[in-house]
Amino acid sequence: MKKMTSALALIAATAAAPVLAEDITITVWAGGSNDSDHYRIDNIRIAADMLSREAAIRGEELNITVEGKRDFDGWDGFKQAVTLGAEAGNAPNIVVTSHLDIAPWASAGYIVPVEDYVDLDAWPLNNIYGNLMEIATFDGMQWGVPQDAESRPFFYWKETFAALGYSEADMDAMSARVEAGEYTLRDMLADAKKAVDMGLVEKGYGFYPRVSNGPDYAQFYQSFGGELTDTETGKLLFDRTAMTEMYQFFVDAVDAGVTRRNHIGTEWDQWYSEVANGKAAFWHGGTWHYGRYTGKEGNEDFFGTVGFTLIPAGNDAGRANTVTHPLVYLLTDQKDDRVEEIAAQLVAIASEPRLNALHAIKSSHLAIGKAEAGLDLYSGDRWAAEATEVLLPHANAQPNHPSYGAFSEAMFKGLEAAWTGVQTPEEAVAEVEAQLTATLGDELIVR
Amino acid sequence: MNTKGNWMLILALSLISAPLVIMYGFQLIDSVSRPAPGGIIPQEWELTNWRFLWTSIDSARPSIWRVTFNTFVFASATALLVCAFSITAAYALSRLNFPARRFFLAGLIMLHAFPTITLIIAIFIVLQFLGLYDSLMGVILVKAALELPFGIWIMKGFYDSVPWEIEMAGVQDGASRFRVWRELILPQVKPGLSALLIFSFLAGWSEFILPLVLAPGADAQVLATYMNAVIADDTRPDYGLFKAIGMFYALPVIAVYLLFQKRLMNIYGGGTKG
Amino acid sequence: MTRQTLLGLGFLSPALLAVMMFFLLPVVLTVVFAFTNMSTSTGILGGEYQISESDLRRLPAVGVGEDAVALLAGAGYAVQPETLALFAAEFGEDRAAELDKLHGGAKFDDQRAMERALKELRRNPLRKVRDRKTAADLFRVSILGQRFATRDDFALAITDLGVPERDRLALTEAAYTGWTFTTQNFELLWELPATWRYALNSVIYVVLTLGFNVGFGLFLALSTFYLPSRTAQTFRAIWFLPRILPPVLYVLMWQWLTWDQGFISAMLRPFGIEPINWMRHTATHAWTFIVLINGCVGASLGMILFSSSLRAIPETQLFAAQVDGANRWQQVRHVLLPQMRWPILFITSYQTLSLLTSFEYILLATDGGPGRQTEVWALAAYHTALSNYGGNLEYGLGAAYALALVIIGILLSALYLRFFKFSELVAKPRIEQ
Repeated sequence: MKKMTSALALIAATAAAPVLAEDITITVWAGGSNDSDHYRIDNIRIAADMLSREAAIRGEELNITVEGKRDFDGWDGFKQAVTLGAEAGNAPNIVVTSHLDIAPWASAGYIVPVEDYVDLDAWPLNNIYGNLMEIATFDGMQWGVPQDAESRPFFYWKETFAALGYSEADMDAMSARVEAGEYTLRDMLADAKKAVDMGLVEKGYGFYPRVSNGPDYAQFYQSFGGELTDTETGKLLFDRTAMTEMYQFFVDAVDAGVTRRNHIGTEWDQWYSEVANGKAAFWHGGTWHYGRYTGKEGNEDFFGTVGFTLIPAGNDAGRANTVTHPLVYLLTDQKDDRVEEIAAQLVAIASEPRLNALHAIKSSHLAIGKAEAGLDLYSGDRWAAEATEVLLPHANAQPNHPSYGAFSEAMFKGLEAAWTGVQTPEEAVAEVEAQLTATLGDELIVR
Repeated sequence: MNTKGNWMLILALSLISAPLVIMYGFQLIDSVSRPAPGGIIPQEWELTNWRFLWTSIDSARPSIWRVTFNTFVFASATALLVCAFSITAAYALSRLNFPARRFFLAGLIMLHAFPTITLIIAIFIVLQFLGLYDSLMGVILVKAALELPFGIWIMKGFYDSVPWEIEMAGVQDGASRFRVWRELILPQVKPGLSALLIFSFLAGWSEFILPLVLAPGADAQVLATYMNAVIADDTRPDYGLFKAIGMFYALPVIAVYLLFQKRLMNIYGGGTKG
Repeated sequence: MTRQTLLGLGFLSPALLAVMMFFLLPVVLTVVFAFTNMSTSTGILGGEYQISESDLRRLPAVGVGEDAVALLAGAGYAVQPETLALFAAEFGEDRAAELDKLHGGAKFDDQRAMERALKELRRNPLRKVRDRKTAADLFRVSILGQRFATRDDFALAITDLGVPERDRLALTEAAYTGWTFTTQNFELLWELPATWRYALNSVIYVVLTLGFNVGFGLFLALSTFYLPSRTAQTFRAIWFLPRILPPVLYVLMWQWLTWDQGFISAMLRPFGIEPINWMRHTATHAWTFIVLINGCVGASLGMILFSSSLRAIPETQLFAAQVDGANRWQQVRHVLLPQMRWPILFITSYQTLSLLTSFEYILLATDGGPGRQTEVWALAAYHTALSNYGGNLEYGLGAAYALALVIIGILLSALYLRFFKFSELVAKPRIEQ
């Protein structure tokens, strides 16, 4: 009964509107989206069609035009455009962006909480995984709705791995061993060195990490026992030991000839084509890489050639982990409350399992809810199903803290300095610490 | 001895210029061919790199023709504004006697030293106040204003080199200063004006950061932001395509250069009397 | 006012207006912003008043009393006589009575819990989401997370809540979400080790590029001076193109030349040299290419300027030197170079300023990498104000960076004005009427 009332309520939500024909234009901007991500916008279009039909049944005429844009100049261009647009009062109605933007944008008043417009206890929002919903909250309010989920696994090339003396059974047991902390980053480094020494891979291709800053590097910090926030106060946490050990790990990788000193800044396309074709022994990436490896890079036997696990633990203090960095649908503050309301309902409808599964499978992302994972389209996809099982239960997200961006930026710049040999890990950590204490002040706990 | 010396010079210059020439050469070649995987030598001649002209290379991108049109409007409007404002202002600074002239001249020189691009947040606020943020009009005004100190400076140089006698003669014949300017002086600085026009057009045509930050919307895309967005999109890395777009983007520049080479080179001729 | 004055000011005014609007005004605003903590979080155009959950823990530090904090921290929604009366007025006595029976006296932490309670109404259910949202709002007793557009609204709200008089001012100030004036940007610049690195990078960048520009411009001008005009023109064209090619395209050409599978790597592979990214391999590689990329653009300016001043030198002087048996090098050293002093000085001073404030090519080529080794001051200003992975753009700090450049620019140009005999430049027009 309860479910029915809320479902009814959702449908009836627009009934208070005037009976006259209503024309509404909803603009959607999606950051970091390329061709295969077009359902981020198209799902809103489908939702608009649904909502118009629902209105028609109630005898109202609701015409919604959806205008989408996703050809921004990278994330920077997108964020500049949204923030300056919001200041100028012509922000798009719906933005698809990183959950990390919630904190600053909420403080600035650019966005409105989605919980003001939709019933979180009703379908389909109540079907979204709780931990994902949690990622879209800030200061006790539900600001957004997760648009997709992903996670960032560790990959290894099976052929190389076999040549190192691991059997088929060993590989099957890898995920479990990594999860249990039996196979650590240090073991990986030793194996990678062996692979280079044996000539299985070229020098510098033993461990082949991400080429630019991203949530991935927070994973390595966690691998060495670092935590991003203090659970009690919600402040950011700078763990000196973990940070030093993490920097040291990459420096060791460079010194061992396993990773190139100038690796950062490698062209992405070159990187993709190399890892997808076995040029590297170990690397890490994202669940969406599956689409790229098997598509453009032409790896036809993904499961036969590539193995994946969580990011291994670095030492006893750390744990095997993976970061999920979901994008979220956010609603921007508009003069006309009615537009916000329509936008919110479109977001809710676009989160229907079937619609979201279109995006998840098309772009190799993971499901946002239980029902979606059960759909044939989704469960029939081996990658989606396996990745969901191995990775998603262990995924944590980066914190929604207004200063996390500065934290992440500084952490990476320090890593880059140590990696390229400009500073020793200790010097780099000291400089990052000095900078963060100066800029974040009270919002940072140094441990 | 002289011819031998010349050959040595040409050899040295050729060596030094080689990297640039190689880049230009392959810019052209790669746009119409496909190199062997991992290699440099072109394998096949083909026009598929130019597909962006007739098909959409990504469903989210505006049509190249629309973008080209925007760029053209942006560059020509900027050039016209710069010229229109410079010819009068430079004349005033060069030839007219009025209070605070010294002050304006000094200010002009100082303006050149200002970090224009780093003022961009403040410029945003001004545009926002005028309701011109995210419009082509807004970027045109800003670009024109930022080019003005340079334009006035150049034009002042050209005015300075017009002999006083011409003006004196006109004034003695009883013409007003305005008439003297319009009928006697303007024809004298025409070469400078056309050089400035070409120069500002090219500056507008190439501008990247202003449209990027101040007009991110789809309606005001220009070729620079379009091309950069295609390059930044890391799932479509394709130097052939990039170069073809680049070629398309550079064609007007090269055409303008070939046509007006002399005038472009001369533009600095007026501004060096410092 | 004479007619000439009128004409002069009239002629000047369009340019003056444009420059004031988009040049001077932004400079003034930048100065102001440099003294604020403006960022994405604070917004640019003013703020509102709001106390959020995370604000609570920092309130005592700014002088808000414990009891006031406790008041603010209290449960957000309460079913109590006052709120029920509001509810009854809007949604009917029946519903109010039913809710009172179900949850009378209850408190709920958040809106979601309150809505759940409202869903339990059976006799007269609130069917629409929107109605439940409106109703839930009536039961809100806390102002936590609520935004107030003006100071007065907020003052009224905290007075209603019963915040003691003595805490109100501090609370209101803490609640303001907009930017405030501060000098911390400069303290930060002073303290950060990175600041000095950026300054040093800028110096390296300006000195090396300038050296390349002037040296190379001079070399090009002198060598093409001696060549037949057709050949000279070809070389001038080659070197002039970088100046007019769009930066996006020009840098792309360099990227192609230097990346791992690019031209240099491909050429060197037969010699057993590992392919590397020649532009980003190490800081030295990056600097080399930054200087080359900028230098090839800048050299053309020198080349053109120097060429035109060379042409202005009377040929008789050269002939005289030739008759004296001077070879080319001696001609250059003793006849040409001494006369090039002013153009060289001009280019040096002009480009010092241009280079200090330019960063477009670096942004496109290395974006300051590797490891911020090529991050120059102007690029740092741009990055701080307009690019941040976490989405919090620090406009205030960026403006402080920019302000430093503005000041250096003014000082240097004032210096140049003295140096280049400004008084000659502004010689009084000869027609006085």
